[in-house]
Amino acid sequence: MKESKLIQYLILIHWLFFAGTTALDKLIPDVYPLWVGADFYTLFVKLFASLGIKDPIFATIALAGVSIVEIVAFTSFLLALVLLIRKNTKSAEQWFSRGILTSLILFSLFSIGDQVFGDRFTLLEHGIFWCILLISWVVFLYIGNTESNNVNLAPSTSLRLTVIAGVVLTVITSISIFSFSSSTWDTKNTPVSGAEITNGMYKFDFPFLGDKETLESTLKAFKTEHPELKVNYIYTGPSELNTKKKTHMLLYVFTEKIKP
Amino acid sequence: MTNTTHTREKDLVRYFIIIYWSLFWLLNVADKIIGGAHLLFVGRDRFAQVERFFDSIGLENPVFANIALVITAGLEIFALVFFVGALYYHLTKNRESTRSWFLVGVGFSLATFTFFSIGDQVFGDHFELLEHGLFWFIALLSWVVFTGLDRIPLPNQVGVTAKQRNAFLAATIVSALVITASIFYHNHTSFVERTQAVAVEQITEDTYKIQFPFLAGSTAFENSLEKFLSENPTLHIDNIYTAPKPLRLGKSDGLIIYIQTVSKQ
Repeated sequence: MKESKLIQYLILIHWLFFAGTTALDKLIPDVYPLWVGADFYTLFVKLFASLGIKDPIFATIALAGVSIVEIVAFTSFLLALVLLIRKNTKSAEQWFSRGILTSLILFSLFSIGDQVFGDRFTLLEHGIFWCILLISWVVFLYIGNTESNNVNLAPSTSLRLTVIAGVVLTVITSISIFSFSSSTWDTKNTPVSGAEITNGMYKFDFPFLGDKETLESTLKAFKTEHPELKVNYIYTGPSELNTKKKTHMLLYVFTEKIKP
Repeated sequence: MTNTTHTREKDLVRYFIIIYWSLFWLLNVADKIIGGAHLLFVGRDRFAQVERFFDSIGLENPVFANIALVITAGLEIFALVFFVGALYYHLTKNRESTRSWFLVGVGFSLATFTFFSIGDQVFGDHFELLEHGLFWFIALLSWVVFTGLDRIPLPNQVGVTAKQRNAFLAATIVSALVITASIFYHNHTSFVERTQAVAVEQITEDTYKIQFPFLAGSTAFENSLEKFLSENPTLHIDNIYTAPKPLRLGKSDGLIIYIQTVSKQ
């Protein structure tokens, strides 16, 4: 296989999935089994409301417009992939360019919106994607129209050794992943033990798997262990107190003795 | 300068690129093998992260997270072994094989980041989508630079005069000494803030403020509350309010908390 073809396929597949999943996210507007996605409808309604346009019809029209542009980009990339597989390279390049142009227009519109709505982080995000799209297009066309080498992984013994090393490492890593999973899975449902910091103040260091159910079982277990105490107040340790990345969540419980 | 020197310089850049990606994937794989935070390696608890993602789409059974992690690890490992192969061929000056093995490494890297990006869309994590999109781009650009280096005209070196060398050495040594002394002095005076109890300021009759320094961690917080309660045995803490970011002065304020108290009587 030619190097240029491999790179072209990888670029095209990336943008095909990018546009496809983005469009799918608009089709599935809320949280469902097997799909969470981003709630763009809520986001658009809130953004328009911040401008004083409270009627949801404007947000709905804007979202529908965005979705149409995304679908145009997706179908262009899909067609480009089909044409590339059928070795109709020139047409594939043309449809890829159309997909990229549509995506560039979309990210330009998003960037205008970000300025209007004052969202600088999203402006950065859309600016970066705009730039990546543009460079992808340049690379796709450039490598497709210049001399290209064949991918040569000879001698075959090296390739065989590399594949064996890859498989062995994957097996070792898989064993480690399954073993870590089975050894830590219990922490999800096991109540966390508290440590008394000072008179009536307890600290709970939650594991990374801990969620709302862990919190509830922890509080229940704490009440069972300390029937003489009344929980006055619960304080979540802010992120500034956590040792970088090492702690998931700190919880402080303030108690007092129940008066007889 | 001769062409040979430029070839050496370009080969050096290629070494940097291959070594960067080899280490990138080696450490990612190590992070999966080690799992959890340990002495000298914190890494990222990928199992917890991926399990929570799958739980959010209704797949609570850990086997889904495990399978996703195994697929990810497989892609990363194959990227790693092909980059190591490219490094071997680059060391043995086999340019054609270096290029092909590097390409396959880049191919696995691009496929990995595309796989991650699909997951980010499904799980609705747009910050990670940006991160993976950027890495995808960096991998693609690495390939472009790696293969296009021969077409980049490097400038001829013109040498360094004694005056330039002395000025460079003097400025570097003086700056390094000043900065190093400042860092050691700051360590000497401030490290204690990491655990030391912070003074409490009374705001109203029953409201107190604690302004933590940037170094303060959970121990400083706990010591501060312990000290406050021991100094005020007649009070108990009714509520703690964390000053939200909009109330803090840009980056110059660290954590600020307000303690609301009531008398035990």
